[in-house]
Amino acid sequence: MAAEIEKKQNPSAESPTGAVLKPLATAARQFARSLIRPSTILYPFERLEDPKFRSEVAVESGRPIGVGEVWDNYRGVHALNVNTCISCNLCAFSCPDLCIEMVTVPGGDPKHPKKCPQIDYGKCSYCGFCSDACPEGCLTMTTKYELSTPNRKDMVYSPQKMFEQFQRKLPMNPIRLERPANEDAILLDAPLCIGCNACARDCPTNCITMLDIPKEAPKPGEKAAKRIWKEPVVNDSDCVRCGTCISVCPKECLFWGTHS
Amino acid sequence: MAVTTLWDVAYFLSSGLLGVLAHILPPLAWLLTNPNLVWLLSALLFGAILLGASMINTIMLIWFERKMLGRFMDRRGAMHVGYAGLLQNFADGLKLFRKNTFKPREADDLGFYGGPTAYMVTSLLMFGVLPISSGWSDGALPLSMLLALVIFSFAPLFIFISAWSSNNKYSLMGGMRSAAQMIAYEVPILLAVVAVVLVAGTFDLNQIVLEQQNYWFWGPLFLALLVFSIGMLAEMERIPFDLPEAEAELVEGWNTEYGGMLFAFFMLADYLRALAGSILIVLLFLGGWTLPTYVPAVATSLPLAGIIWFMVKTYLVFGVFVWIRAALPRVRTDQLLRIGWMRLIPLSLVAVVLAAALVLVKCLPVFGCVPSMGG
Repeated sequence: MAAEIEKKQNPSAESPTGAVLKPLATAARQFARSLIRPSTILYPFERLEDPKFRSEVAVESGRPIGVGEVWDNYRGVHALNVNTCISCNLCAFSCPDLCIEMVTVPGGDPKHPKKCPQIDYGKCSYCGFCSDACPEGCLTMTTKYELSTPNRKDMVYSPQKMFEQFQRKLPMNPIRLERPANEDAILLDAPLCIGCNACARDCPTNCITMLDIPKEAPKPGEKAAKRIWKEPVVNDSDCVRCGTCISVCPKECLFWGTHS
Repeated sequence: MAVTTLWDVAYFLSSGLLGVLAHILPPLAWLLTNPNLVWLLSALLFGAILLGASMINTIMLIWFERKMLGRFMDRRGAMHVGYAGLLQNFADGLKLFRKNTFKPREADDLGFYGGPTAYMVTSLLMFGVLPISSGWSDGALPLSMLLALVIFSFAPLFIFISAWSSNNKYSLMGGMRSAAQMIAYEVPILLAVVAVVLVAGTFDLNQIVLEQQNYWFWGPLFLALLVFSIGMLAEMERIPFDLPEAEAELVEGWNTEYGGMLFAFFMLADYLRALAGSILIVLLFLGGWTLPTYVPAVATSLPLAGIIWFMVKTYLVFGVFVWIRAALPRVRTDQLLRIGWMRLIPLSLVAVVLAAALVLVKCLPVFGCVPSMGG
C-alpha cells in the first residue's frame, strides 16, 4: 500500500535496486578518488601555500606561482617599515574601527617624538584603508593570516612587531603610491597668521617653509614694519595632506580648500 | 597441518608461568606442575586473551569505520592521537570513563544501570561462542550457532529495559522501535541460517566452517547471504536501519539519557555486536579461517594464520557495512517494515527452498566458486 502511495506521489521514483546501487557506486567512486589523497589537508601541519601544493593551486587559480592559495592581495597582518614612517597619523585617521593608536618609538628627537601606528587586531576589520592612506607606502598588508592566541593582549601589534613582519619579507599587497586625486590643499588665512612656525616644525614631510613676507606694504609716510613677518608656504607636490599643520596651528588660520 | 593456534599460545604461557612459579616455590611444585592446573590456567588465559582481543578489536573497528567514513567524505578521519589516529578511540574511551555518570531523577535504578551492563555482558558473551580459528574445535558445542544467535537476540530486551527505565519519551520511543525492528528482522535471519544449516548439515559453527573447506557457501547461497547481511544491518542498527537512534527525530534514541561510562557501554556493545555480526557472516558464508587453494601454503602455515585471515575477512565485511552506511540514507518506518516483511522474508524462503533443492540434486560443488583448503 505504502509503495503504491509513494509511486503515485512520485511517479519518477527509482526502482529499489537503482536507489540502492547508484548511491553505492557513487560512494565507491568517491572512496577510490579519496584513497589517493583526500581534498582535506591537515591544516596546522600543512598549508595550501606549502610548495607541495603550489603547482595545483596555481594552475587552478590561473595566477602566477609563488604565493599559493593566499593571493598577494590578501589582506592579513600589517607590515610596517618603521624607518620610512613619517608619523603623519593618516592611518589612524582613516581607520574605521579606531584600532590604530600612534605610539612613540625610539628614533625621534626628544621634543618631537616619532610616532608609529600600533594596531589592535581584536578590533581590526582588515579593510586596508590604512595602507591605502599611507603616503609613504610604509604600512602595507601581508598574507599572514594566523593570529590565534590564548592571550588577548597578543592581538595588539606594536610597531616593532609589525616591523618584524616587514623584515620577514612576506608577500605583500601592492603598494599604491600615487595619491588619490585630491583637489584639497592647505590654504592660509593670511591676516590671522602670527608666523609662529608650528606648522613647519611639525610637518612630517617638511614641505612647509616659512617665507619672509612683509605684513603689509608700508603706506607712504609710514614706517616699515619692524619685524620680518613669516608666513607658511606649502609645497603641494610634497604635501601628503595629513592635516598636522591644521591641527597644530594656534590661531586656526590654516584650512582645507582648493586653489582657485 | 601443525599450525600454532591461540590455544597453543595460552598453553605455552600457562605452563611457562607455572613452571617459573614451581621453580621459585619448590614445596608447591607438586601442585603447580599438575596438568589439570596447567589446563585450567591456560583456559583462563585463553578467555582473558579472547576478552582483551575482542575489546581491542572492537575499538579498532571504530577506528576503521572512522577512517573509512572519512575517505568516503573526502577527508582523513582521526589523525592526531597515535599513528594515523590509532589511539584516538582509546583517548575517547578514557574521556568517557572519567566523566560523571548521572541519572535522571525519575529513572529506575535497576533498569537504568542494569540495562547497559547486561547489554554489554551479553554482547561480550558472543565471543565465547564464536570460533575464530581451528583451535576452537576442542571445546565445541554441537549447537553453537543456535547459541550464538540466541545470545545475539538478547539485545532488544536489555535495550528496551534501559530505554523504559530512563523515563524519557525519546528513549522509550527509541527502545520500542529498536525492539520491534530487531524482533522483526530475526525472522529472515533465522530463515537464512536455515539455508546454511540445510547445506552444512550441522548446527556447529566449527563443522559449518569445515564443510566450507572445498567451497565457500556464498556462491550457492548467495540469496541467503544477501538476506542475512541486510538482516544483520538491521540487527546492528547501522545506518540504513538506524531508526531507533534517528538523531533527527529522537534525540539519540534509546541512549538519550545516558552519558559517561554507561554511554560508552552502549557504544562499545553496539560495535561488539557489529563485530560479532561480521564474524557470523564470515563463518557462515565466507569460509571462516580457510583460504583458497591458490594462496601459497606459506600464508596458511604462519603462526596464528587462521586468526589473521579470519580477522582480515571480518574487517572486509565490516568495510562493506561502512560503505553502505556512507552511501544510503535512513529508511522510514514503513519502508523498514516493507523491506522486512515483503522482501526479506519471501527472499529468505526462496533461499531455503533453493538450498534444499541444491542439497537434493547434490550439485553444490558446481557452485563452489572458491576452492579452499584447511587452515
